[in-house]
Amino acid sequence: METDCDSIRRARPLLGTFVEIQASGARRADLNAAIDAAFDAIAKVHRLMSFHEPDSDVSRLNQFASSDPVAVDPWTYEVLRTAMDLHSRSQGAFDITVAPVLQGLGLLPGPAGRWDANRVRASDKVELLADHRVSFSRHGIRIDLGGIAKGFAVDRALDALRGFGIASGLVNAGGDLAAFGPDPQTVSVRNPVDPQSFMCGISIKNEALASSARRFDPFHSGGTTSSAIIDPFTHKPSCSVDGTTVRAPSCVIADALTKVVMIAGTTAADLLEYYQAGALLVLQDGDIQISSDLKDAVSLAA
Amino acid sequence: MTKWVRYTLPAAAIVSIASPAYSMQYLSIGEAQKQAFPSASNFAEVQVGRVWKAEAGGRTVGFFIFDRVVGKHLLIDYAVALTPGGAVHSVEILQYRESYGGEIRSASWLAQFVGKTSGSALKINSDVRNIAGATLSSTHVTEGVKRVLSAYGNRLR
Repeated sequence: METDCDSIRRARPLLGTFVEIQASGARRADLNAAIDAAFDAIAKVHRLMSFHEPDSDVSRLNQFASSDPVAVDPWTYEVLRTAMDLHSRSQGAFDITVAPVLQGLGLLPGPAGRWDANRVRASDKVELLADHRVSFSRHGIRIDLGGIAKGFAVDRALDALRGFGIASGLVNAGGDLAAFGPDPQTVSVRNPVDPQSFMCGISIKNEALASSARRFDPFHSGGTTSSAIIDPFTHKPSCSVDGTTVRAPSCVIADALTKVVMIAGTTAADLLEYYQAGALLVLQDGDIQISSDLKDAVSLAA
Repeated sequence: MTKWVRYTLPAAAIVSIASPAYSMQYLSIGEAQKQAFPSASNFAEVQVGRVWKAEAGGRTVGFFIFDRVVGKHLLIDYAVALTPGGAVHSVEILQYRESYGGEIRSASWLAQFVGKTSGSALKINSDVRNIAGATLSSTHVTEGVKRVLSAYGNRLR
């Protein structure tokens, strides 16, 4: 990298993946300061919303909120409010209370015993109180923000970059990304069935793009096995769609909507429209379906 | 009203845009050192190519450790910056390499990258992509950082 270049791209291991941040159009020292601040924002989301960190807001809620209201960071509160809005608008397809099912399947750490149906599909039992306090109105509820926190982290990192007055920026948290700036950015989307190859390019400008696939574990298997996305209606991994990519104005919405589309497929059309989002679905027969508003931004490999 | 458009793709078309191997150089060791310890005026090499002591005005402001782990198939170069007390100050990825199209995951395939400062067998930044889709786990780097901490956290003073 030359010292006079006005674009910097750095990466750190955060949120369980590799977070890549690019900043352009300012002095190098300013770009580096902006990128540092953006990484700090992501690290803060990680600290607050990790299911695995014992001191996170999520862990404290899971431990205490069934008994007493728990005060959380305004960022956690905002994610919970967005999650509950998505829950009601998706007729329950987006549900942060499926954690006990994920634990039962060994996808999250915790008791692998039987969960009972009262403990899941309980997003309506999460109560948002004044002063950023939260309580659960039923015992045994455990939440996991894994389906939404990464997108929120990308949005906060992008805000941090914008705060430094740089011309353009891009934050990519292991495949969920958002960009701002005058020029469109082309994103190469992995093929969910064969993650080592690319399926298409999607052009974004001041937008976010998030993807979900049936479970892909690069360290154990190159192939796709079952999904880490749980259908809250059946309590089973979703299987109707092999993978989906959602474009939305913000990454928190794009991230969360990928989970809904994995479960609801093309019937999520109204919800996508409400959030001004578009989607690309890879169906089990290998065909691809693209919402009409997203069609022009996609360049297929063919 | 959202409408859906359906495409049927020949499988071969999907594979055709895979590139053989790819590498993203983020920061050089020197850049990462400066980034981690902006106040440092000197980086004294404690262990060749691996450990540096960051100094400012004769005072130790921290340590910088370069390490490699195997990522998905190939090596990831990263650096851990430690405080003078031996706690993690920051972790930065310096170079990320990735193979596409199913190269052999053999020792000889990996060996070609060992000891190369810039991974000259790879295309470096020739095709800087923004990649969406499957999330790659950073577990191996996290484990590497733990190893670095247990090896150096209490030893460097």
